[in-house]
This record gives sequence, C-alpha cells and structure tokens, in this order.
Amino acid sequence: MGAPKKSGVKVSEEAEELARVPLQAILLADSFTTKFRPITLERPKVLLPLVNVPMIDYTLAWLESAGVEEVFVFCCAHSKQVTSYLKKSEWLSQPNFTVSMIESHHSISAGDALRVIYERNVINGDFVLISGDTVSNMSLTQALQEHKERRKKDNDAIMTMVIKRSKPHPATHQTRLGTDELFMSIDPNTKQLLYYEEKADYAKGILHLDKSLLLDNPSISLHHDKQDCYIDICSPEVLTLFTDNFDYQHLRRHFVKGLLVDDIMGYKIFTHEIHSSYAARIDNFSSYGTVSKDIIHRWTYPLVPDVMFFGKSGTKLERQGMYRASEISQSHSAVVGPFTVLGSGTKIGDNSKISNSVIGQGCTIGSNVQIEGCYIWDNVTIEDDCELRHAIVCDGVTIKSGAVLEPGVVLSFKVVIGPEFVVPSYSKVSLFQQPIEEDSDEELEYADSTSAMNSLMDKYGAEAASQVLETQSSSASELGVGGAGYVWSKCDGGNEEEWRHSVAPIPADKIAEAMEILEDGLDYDGSILPPSGELKSDNDSDIDDIENPRDDSCFGKEVEATFLRLVHENIQEDHVILEVNSLKLSYNKSAADCAGAIFHAMMKYALEIPHSSAGSLVQNVDSILTTWRKLLTSYLAEIDEQIEVILKFEEMCLESAKEYAPLFTKILSIMYDKDIIGEEAVLSWEDEKREADEADKVFVKQAQTFIQWLREAPEEDDDEE
Amino acid sequence: MPDVQPLVNGFLSQLKKRKIEGSQATAKQTAEVLRSVISQQRLPHTNQAGALIDAVRAVGEQLIAANPVEIAVGNIVRRVLHIIREEDLSLATDAIAGLGISAGSDDEDDVEQDDHPVLSAAAVAAAARSTLRPPSLQTLLEDMPDSAAVPHTSSSGGESEGKSRSADKGSRGRKLKHDVIEAVNDLIQDISTCHEQIAEQAVEHIHHNEVILTLGSSRTVLEFLCAAKEKKRSFRVFVVEGAPRYQGHVLAKDLAARGLQATVITDSAVFAMISRVNMVIVGAHAVMANGGVIAPVGLNMVALAAQRHAVPFVVLAGSHKLCPLYPHNPEVLLNELRSPSELLDFGEFSDCLDSASGAGSLHVVNPAFDYVPPKLVSLFITDTGGHNPSYMYRLIADYYSADDLVVKGRTTAGS
Amino acid sequence: MWYRSASFILDNRQQNVAALAPDTLSISPPGGTTRTSMADTFQNPNPNPVISAYYQTRAAHHGVITSDWLAQAQAATDQNSDPNAISASDVRVSDPDKPFSVIDEFNDWRKQPDLAEAVAAIRALAAVIRSSKATTMMELEIELKKASDSLKSWDETSISLTAGCDLFMRYVTRTAALEYEDFNSAKSRLIERAEKFGEISYKARKVIAMLAQDFIFDGCTILVHGYSRVVLEVLKLAAQNKKLFRVFCTEGRPDRSGLRLSNELAKLDIPVKLLIDSAVAYTMDEVDMVFVGADGVVESGGIINMMGTYQTALVAHSMNKPVYVAAESYKFARLYPLDQKDLAPAPIPIEFGVPVPSKVEIERSARDYTPPQYLTLLFTDLGVLTPSVVSDELIQLYL
Repeated sequence: MGAPKKSGVKVSEEAEELARVPLQAILLADSFTTKFRPITLERPKVLLPLVNVPMIDYTLAWLESAGVEEVFVFCCAHSKQVTSYLKKSEWLSQPNFTVSMIESHHSISAGDALRVIYERNVINGDFVLISGDTVSNMSLTQALQEHKERRKKDNDAIMTMVIKRSKPHPATHQTRLGTDELFMSIDPNTKQLLYYEEKADYAKGILHLDKSLLLDNPSISLHHDKQDCYIDICSPEVLTLFTDNFDYQHLRRHFVKGLLVDDIMGYKIFTHEIHSSYAARIDNFSSYGTVSKDIIHRWTYPLVPDVMFFGKSGTKLERQGMYRASEISQSHSAVVGPFTVLGSGTKIGDNSKISNSVIGQGCTIGSNVQIEGCYIWDNVTIEDDCELRHAIVCDGVTIKSGAVLEPGVVLSFKVVIGPEFVVPSYSKVSLFQQPIEEDSDEELEYADSTSAMNSLMDKYGAEAASQVLETQSSSASELGVGGAGYVWSKCDGGNEEEWRHSVAPIPADKIAEAMEILEDGLDYDGSILPPSGELKSDNDSDIDDIENPRDDSCFGKEVEATFLRLVHENIQEDHVILEVNSLKLSYNKSAADCAGAIFHAMMKYALEIPHSSAGSLVQNVDSILTTWRKLLTSYLAEIDEQIEVILKFEEMCLESAKEYAPLFTKILSIMYDKDIIGEEAVLSWEDEKREADEADKVFVKQAQTFIQWLREAPEEDDDEE
Repeated sequence: MPDVQPLVNGFLSQLKKRKIEGSQATAKQTAEVLRSVISQQRLPHTNQAGALIDAVRAVGEQLIAANPVEIAVGNIVRRVLHIIREEDLSLATDAIAGLGISAGSDDEDDVEQDDHPVLSAAAVAAAARSTLRPPSLQTLLEDMPDSAAVPHTSSSGGESEGKSRSADKGSRGRKLKHDVIEAVNDLIQDISTCHEQIAEQAVEHIHHNEVILTLGSSRTVLEFLCAAKEKKRSFRVFVVEGAPRYQGHVLAKDLAARGLQATVITDSAVFAMISRVNMVIVGAHAVMANGGVIAPVGLNMVALAAQRHAVPFVVLAGSHKLCPLYPHNPEVLLNELRSPSELLDFGEFSDCLDSASGAGSLHVVNPAFDYVPPKLVSLFITDTGGHNPSYMYRLIADYYSADDLVVKGRTTAGS
Repeated sequence: MWYRSASFILDNRQQNVAALAPDTLSISPPGGTTRTSMADTFQNPNPNPVISAYYQTRAAHHGVITSDWLAQAQAATDQNSDPNAISASDVRVSDPDKPFSVIDEFNDWRKQPDLAEAVAAIRALAAVIRSSKATTMMELEIELKKASDSLKSWDETSISLTAGCDLFMRYVTRTAALEYEDFNSAKSRLIERAEKFGEISYKARKVIAMLAQDFIFDGCTILVHGYSRVVLEVLKLAAQNKKLFRVFCTEGRPDRSGLRLSNELAKLDIPVKLLIDSAVAYTMDEVDMVFVGADGVVESGGIINMMGTYQTALVAHSMNKPVYVAAESYKFARLYPLDQKDLAPAPIPIEFGVPVPSKVEIERSARDYTPPQYLTLLFTDLGVLTPSVVSDELIQLYL
C-alpha cells in the first residue's frame, strides 16, 4: 500500500483498523412472531421459499456479498431444520465467509436471543443485526463507514438503522409491506433518530411528539414515508444493553424506544437511508407477496431467479418477466402470463392460465386451471378446473378438481381440499388444529406453543400424523369430500387484520371504507381538537404530550385502575407500589411517568368525589393526598419527577379538569406542605416556564405569590440554620 | 486438483454476483484461472491432451454457467481449449515425422481403431489437423462416421510413440504443459495489450477536423481516440451519455482530461446530431460469429441513425470479444435485465409499483445490452486489423476449434 | 443456362450438347421421353416441356395430390405412367446380364422416399465402382467421371444430384492422391464410404436439427415453406425437447407439400396452421422466424428451393424477420446464378382445376433462387453458417 507520507498515515491506519476486525453479523433465524402461522408450525419462517429459494439464502447471500465475514445464525424454533438445512447448503463452505449456528430453545424474543449471544462472547466489534427473512442488495460500505466515523466522534452512537423511502397507502396507512405506517423523526443534519412510532393512531390523524424533542433539536424532520429495513449496524454496547435491561424483548418496541426515551445513558441511534438499493423484511403474508413481486421485477438484482446466486441453475428469463426453470412440460394451449416463475419439473395442463404467480418445483397443474397472483410451493397437485387467486399453497398440498381458493387463502403443508370445495377468503388451513391460546398475544412465540406440535410430529412422523388427521377430517369433511385439514378460526383482531396482512390485494371496498374513516376522522378531529372539559372518555383524558399515545393511554388507565382498586378494595399500599412498578417495567416507563399517572389518577378521583364548592374540592384533594402520600412520594425521589407532577397538574388544569384551574396555587401549596414536592422543584418549574409562551405562563403567574414566598423562605431557612 | 478449487470457486462466485465488470477484466481473469488449472493438472501417461482438455472443459463449463451473459468467459475457455489442441498437434506431428514409416506399421497392429488401413504419416497428420478446423465439405465423406476416432488419432500418435520410446513419455507431458502455459501467457498478454494494438490503427481511421460520435464508456475507444490525438490529429468527439448508467459522462471527463474536445449529448439527441458526424466509433461487449454486436443499450439506435445518414459505424473489439457462436434471440437471451432502480427511485414510485394494494402496476425494464445486426456495422477494428462483418467468421475460425463450440455436456466428439 | 465456376464452363458446354441430343447417347434413360408424354397428356398445351424428374419425384414423395388430380392423372396415363421405376426394377430383377446402367441404379435408389437424391447418386456411383473392371485408379476415375456426367445430364434440374456427383468425384480424386498402396483396398474403401453416405446424410439431418434447437424459443411462431425432411427433423426435435411453438405451413402449390408437412406436424402434436401461399405477407407480423429447406445451396450463399421461397424471404426480410435455411452440406453446389432465369428451367405439371385455354401461357417452373441477402443463417452439418461462408467452403473443397 503506497500511501503518501504524511496525510496518508492516518488514512492507512484507519483502513488497517477497518481491515483488522472482520465484520460480523447476527442473523436471527426466528421471527419470534406468529404471523406466518399455521405454516410456521411445521417449518421455520426463514426456510419458507421466497420465489422458490428459502428466505435465509437471500439474507446470507446479501451478507456475503456485502462483505460480512462471520455470521452467527441464531436458531430457536425448529432449530434442527435450520441447522440441517445450513449443513446441507453451500454456505458453510464459502471462502472468507463463516457461518456458525447458535441454538437456544428457551429464547422467546429477539432480546433473549441477543442476551444468549452476549453470553457466548463471540461478538467483538461492530456487527450487523439482521433477521433471516430480510432481502436486500444494498452495499454496506457507506453505512458502515458512517457508523464508524460517528463512533469515533461520539461513543454513544451505538446503532445505525437502515431505512428506505416507501410511500404508505394513503387510505389504509399501510406500507407496501403490509406493516403499519411508521412515523419517525430524524435530525436532518446528523441523521439521528429522535422518534420512532409504528403504531400511530392513524384513525385520528394525530401524532404526539414530546415537546422536549422540539426544544432540544434545532430542526427535526418528521417522516411517515420511510420504511424500516430491519438492518441494523450495531456496536457491541447493544448486546450489553440488552443484557442490562432484561425486560427488553422486541428490537424496536422495547430497545429502540427505550433508548430514545432514556436520557440517562445518552445512547443515540442514527439512520442511514438507502436510495438506489433495495431492502425489505418479510413481516407478514402481505410483505411476502410484495417482496416476491419486487424480486420478480428485479428490484433486488442481482438476487433474482435467473442469476445463479444460490448454486441452482437453469432458470431463464424470457420476455415479459417470465422465468422458467428446466424440464417444464407445458401444454400448447396453456397460457403462462407475465411475471410468472415456473419451477423445474412442473407440468401444466391444457387451457390453464397462470399469471403473476410463483410455481415451485415438481408441481402438477391440471387442465382449465386458473391461477392468479398465487405462491405455490413444491410438489403441489392442482387438479382440473380449479381456480386459485392470491393464495399461498405450501408443499405437498392437493387441490381436487373444481375447488376454488378465494383471495387470501393460506394452505399449509399437505392439506387436501376436496372437489368443488370453495375455501373462503382469508382462511388458513392446516393439518394441525389451531392451538388453543387463552392469551393470544402477538408476542407469543411459536417456539413455545409448538413444542407440543413438534413432539407430536416426532412421535408419529409427519406422514403418520397427517394420515391420522386425514381420517379424522375426512369424516368431518371440513374441506369437502376427502379433504384433510382444519380451518383455523380467525384470530388477531378479526377480519380487520386479515385483509391487511394477506397476500391478496386489499379489496376495493376495504379501501373505500378506509377512505371514509379517514375523512370522518378528519372531520371528527377538526371539531374535537380544542379539548373539552369532559372527562368521560378514557382516551381523551390521556392526550398528553408523551411520545406514545397508545401505550400511554393504556399505562395511564392501568395505573388509574390500580389506584382505584387501592381506594375501593383496601389493598395494601405496598402492593400497589409493586403493581405500578411492574407496569412501569412492562410499559417501559420512567418513574416520572408513574408519578404523573398516579397523581393524575388521584386528582381525577378527587374530582369524582361529590363536592359542592371549590373549597370542598380542595379538601378532597387534601385528604386524598394525605392518605396516599406515601404512594406518590415513592416515585418522587428526584426533582425531575416532582417537576413532572407539577407539569401534569398544570396540563390537567388546562385541559381535562378545568375545575382545578382556579385552585392551582392552593393545591400546589398543599403539595408543598405535605412534602410531595420540594421548593427546588417549584422554582425550577418556574425557571423552565420563563422561556415559554404567554399562554403557558398562566399558572406561573397565578402561583407567583407562592413562588415569591418560596423564594424568600429558603433564605429564612438558611438563616435559621 | 484440490489446490485450484478455491481459486475457481472464488472466481465463480465473483462472476455469479456480477462483481466483475468489463469483458477485458473478465477475459484476463478467466485466462489466469485456466492457466492455474492447467498447471495444477496432473497428466496421465497417455492421452495427455485429452486430460488437459477435460480439466479445462470441466472448469470452463462452470464458469460459463456462472454468468452466461458475460460472453468473454466462454470465448477464453474455447481459446484455451484450442491452444491445447494446437500444441498437442504440433507435438504429435513432430513425433510422427520422427517416426516415419514405422508409425504406419505400428498402426496396422492397432486393429481396434483401424479405420485407415494403410495411411502414411502425412495422412495421419493431415487428418489430425483437419480436426482443428471446422467440419468442411472435404471431411464430409472422409471422417464423418468415425470422427470420434479422430481426436483419438492425434493422441494415438503419442500412444504408439510411447510404446516404442517409453523414456520419452514424461518429457513430452512436461513439454505439452509447458507449451500450453506459454501459449496461455501469450493470450493473457494479448488481452492486456489489445488496447494498444487497436489504438495503433487510430491514425488510419481518424482524420483532421472530423467529428466522431461515441456512446458509453469503453477503454478501447478512449485509448483509440487518444492515440489519434497524440498523432496531432485534431477532431471533436460527441459523447452520448448512455442512460441509465451514464457512462458517457465518465468517458467525456476522461477525454477532456486528456485534452480532447468532447461534447456530451443525450441519448435522444443522437438523430439530431448524427448529420454532423463523420464517423461513429464505439466499443462492444461481444462480437458474434455473424458479425452482430452485443453492446451497451442504446447502440442499435445509434447504428440505425448512422445508417440513415450513411455515417460509417466502426466497432472496436479486442479479439477476446469475438464469440464463435451465432446469436439467436439475442435481445432476450444474451441480455441482462438489471435492477430498475437505475432508472427510477424506488421510494418515489413505491406507491404505484405493483403493491399489495393492487392499485398500480408500474413495471420497469432495464436491459443492459443491445444487439446491433451485422448489416449496420461498417467495420470492425480488432487487434489484428480492420475487418468486414461478414469476415468475422473467418477470424473466429482461426481462434477456435469447432469441437469446442459446445463446451457443455459433451461426452464424445462428433458434430 | 447455369453459370458454373470457370473451370466447369467447358465441360458444361459439352454436357449441354449432350443434353440437347439425348437420343445420341446410348446411356440415355428409357423413361426420359415417355415421362414427358405422360405429363403432356392432360391440360398441358405446351408443345415441348421437359418435366423435371427431380421435382416430379419430390411431388410423388412429399406432395399431397388431390383426388381429382389423381383421377385425371389415372385416366390420362397409360401403363407407362411410371416407366422409370418399373423398368429399373425389372432390369435389375429379371435381367442381370443387361449392361450396367448408372441411371437405372440411381432411379432405383431414388424411389425410396427417405433417401436423399445425393445419397442415391453416390450409391449409384458406388455401384459403378463395384461393377467396374478397371485395374488402375486412373481408369476407375475416368469411368466414374463418365458415369457421373451421364447422371448429371440425365436430370439437369436436380442440384443435389449434381452436387452429390461432384462431391464424390472430388473425394475419389483426393483419395487417389492419398497414395493407397493397393488399388483394391482403395476401391473397397471408396465403396465403403459411399455405402455409408446414407448414414452420413441421416446424421447430417440430426446435426442440423440439433444446431437449430437454440434458435427455437418458447412461444415462437415459425413459418415453413415447402416440405423439407431437414426442417421436419428440426421441428420434430424441438417438439421432443418440449419447446412450445407453433408452425404456419404454406400450402406449397402446386404439389401441396405444405399439406403433407402440416399432417406430419399434427401427428407430433405441434400446433399448426395452414396458409395459402399468397397469405405469407398477411401473416408475417405474427411470425418470429421463417424456416425453409433447400434443394441446393449455391456459391453466393443463396439457395435454390421450391417456388415461393424467394417471395417468402422477401416478405420476411422487409418485415425484419429472420430467415433460416436448413440444408445438408452435400447440397452445396458450384453454381452462381445471377438471377432467376439463370437457372435451368425445371417445369412441373400444374393443375388449375379448370381447363386453361391453350393461348394462355403457364409459368411452370418448380423452383426459384433466393439471393443471400435475404437469408439470415444456414444450418448445415458443418455448423451454423452465414451465407458468405458457403463460398468459402466450396472454394476450400474444389480449389
């Protein structure tokens, strides 16, 4: 390396440093969700074929071409299948690319996985964190360089998130990938991520930002057309953080939001936007369809079927985006439309029409079959006169003649659909019965609940199991004569979710509906935006300037309910404190939030106790504060929390409980008397307000005399001492 | 040959990932990989050339399959195979000449392949030499049915020779390998110097005050133009920018840096400007046996414009770009559809791409190459001089053996 | 008149003289004149047509003759209707002592529908060698030369006959040059090669079919003009390879060979559509490529083929569709026609369904010449060639 003398020295040092640490990656071969059920009961998500190639191959191929040298594949659910697949594949024998597996059967979340990896102590530098269902062709060089440079300047910049522009649907507020609209605010200069919200309440069209966000940053830009690619470049601290915060489970919901909220550690997350390259994660059936299409349309080039990326050969691209593998026997009268992929050894009968679909290997398609927008995996038999639209059909399924699959149907492995049977839209059919889940939380991991299934599979072997089930169901004939399989009842919030997350395009009526809601919502908001004094709606009472309205309202409500139980059911105060603590952890809140919520609950309760005049209201407040002072003060250790309580109170007076407005000073002094808030808190509150608008100063002015008194008091105190 | 396998695999994966760009780089690397394959190959005592050919063919098959669009790979594989055959033949004829008449009697003992009952040494040599040429009318009656035996004949020379002079065996194997490697080195040398060879001819083609039009970025064209400039020719160059990759911008920059007068025009302005142009000089991705050109997309349009205005259309191509195959359906089969993101921004159009909502269906096609039919080409300039498109097949016949046209999946010779 | 390469013009002139006066040659075929009379007997007022034997045979082998034509022909012809065949076989079977006639031998071979004309010619020449009493190579050569000349002059219209004779003669000369030690072994070798020529021709077709496969892509539409065994072989192999394509067959007047081809293709389950010859331009926009066979490939790289090939190629060329020719290399002939009329006329009977007044002249040529600029590629057993390579090959062989 012939670097020039002086200036070159530093550059070459850096280059050497870059070269010295091999780039590592953690690949999570488990999505820790249930969105691909029932398919994932039998096969892990990362091994599901995406345009006839298992998803994990796309991810590994990208990692390899992006210059990653060492990959740790974390397997959890169906870990045996994943490891045996990788052992058979070529990935373990690539030059300059090592793939090692880490198995753990007890992890139920990405957080657990990272904690396991931390314990293994294998990561020794910056690493790429990616899920095994991500398709990308981006170059890591620039993002990595940016990350390293930032790290050099600021040790707290521990993570770089890759984002990509992608416009959400105007009506349904869904991204192309079928996920919810994502709001994030980014500092346009530093590209620091300041705010991240994927479950924004789009029905109301309101977004709540922390004021401090605006105060602390000279400029922020708010985006709703960015897509999170779920490709993160992380520093080793990330693993440490996960280990320290044992309650971090979800990468985004807990970790990212946790970091954004947490000012103490001061860790920062940055974003890197990609423009010309592609990256997307397959999160649900809808994104499965979208990404498949993107691959067929070659956005992922060179990760496309006709480029021999995966050591498989023979697929050729013909006119109009038709991909054909070898040994296809197709009747002359069959019409294969554009943007279709045909796997090798597939047979297509007379007059069948196939368009915009992916057909796997060794499928047999009869005559007069219509297939549109379907994803048909390997060795599927479709008999004559069937009609399939926008369905996912897994390996070994048999569809008897004349059967119809309506849009959005998912048929899991080896299901048999009887002749002439019409499978209704969005139904999911599996040979396994739907597990009964009392607490069907989205976070529930399939690893857990499928262990029973797995043991069943192991016991009988897949064949036997399917036979048993076949005999059972043929009598039941849930799927027509000779059919085999169980139709799963709809879960996850009913129909609403089904159409959002299905491979089928969103039906026109749903879009129209959504448009209507949108318009209604705007009207509603327009009228309601100036807050009314009503308290009956739970939601309204929670409109606070905190980042996360949904979590927040839930949290507020839960705390309030806890408090009311304390009042009415005579529960011990300690227990309530414990309960609130647990809520704090699960909602990832700070002590200030708790204090604010409890205070809010108290004041609301005080307001609900019948009172004749302002004076009696003050008395109510006084007594309540006296009774449960301990509860409140346990969260008021720091001055910040006390300020939070004052701010909260101020807000209440302004918005939800205007009755308190005239009594502000009085109650403030009561709180001071009862040592709930200290004088520094009041003073710094006033300090803070000095800069604010006139409108915000109403209560400062009101409390001016009290503050004045406080100002003098400390002097007295000092004198006394 | 375990030693070369990593090397081959590395090159394979680079090819597969489309990491190597440009036919010259690809050609050179292919030749280098094949050279190490040859040097690592252990030679058996008999049929040494056959062993080498099999080894090279096995590797070549993989390489070609890795990126069928990069034609240079196949070209080099075939060139190397041809080199092996020629070297083997020259050794064989030497040996047979030395054996003289006695070889004839040797052959008589060899009943199993006694198709030529009494043939003189010269006849054997002639028959063997004919195998290097494509099948022709001459050989139609002579050797057709037992053409499988013909390659055998060339090695049988070695065999019979081996019988009589076993001491000679080892040295001949070494000599063959040595000669082949030498020849491959020459080939690599040729590939690296083809720019200069082509550029030397520049002065014959570019005249004073001419206006030259070119498209895309080709190093050969750059060197060619600069060579003319160095010879004190002053001329102007129109550079067509070549959307969507805009390689014309790069070329224009380089030209300006070398002191040439360059003007960048858009692709759509070609027809408007062509009437002022004296000559079109472009590079090529590959030249097919019929004289058709596989070239960066947009070149067919330029060629048509040039034909319309009777402007000479000159294609510069190093000999490694000459492909012995005839194109069929070249617009599709010899093309590479690249990512649409080169054309438009995914984010900007994401709402009207074929998405889950089913609302829009915007498709983008981004082919990398164009096929220019031979009738539109006025002249090819290769490292061996200028040639008419219809002459390309003759040039190709010099470089390749007919037996190697199909590299893949051949068990016995016989076409 | 045909223009051969310079060296041939002289012999050619002699042959022409011979052809003009066939009766003077003892070797002249018995059927030559009777055949003419046969064709004459119906609706042909032309006083002196020389019906092309080659095209007659082609029609018999490949054409589909309508029933009314057959009826007419039956009615019109006497027992002499097929004198060649009968007499030839008669000669061979009943009269072994009769002096050997190369033309009889040739006609005998020619009757087999699967055997190419050139194969028949070479086999006939091989028979000449076998029956030859020559004792030196030189004598044999002279004898063969005589036989081949008589064969060529017997049917001037058959290019493959001429090309086959030339090829074999060339081979004999070259073999003679190879200095075989023993005359007998040389002779046996020549015979052996000639016997194998049928195999070579069969193999050539296979090779061509293989070469052409790459050019047939899924979903393409191929227009075929005329019946050609090679083209059929190509399409057959493509169907075996499970390619998806459809074929448009022209009718191929007057012998309707296209009908025959469409029958064959239908048997192979290839979708096929039959067109009248004049619908070529009408359908050309749907067509992806044109496939034709060739009766002969001439030095310019152009082809001589069934009537209508030229116009098909012209239409295809003007619509920018590739025209592919499938032809075995033994059809390469040393001819250089400058225009259509440069060819020896090869008239054949044409049936119009209704009586044509005798004043109306009828163009009854069976073939036309397609210049090389309208051809895209030739598939031959020598490989895929551009038209310009053909002359190269011929020069290599004969110069």
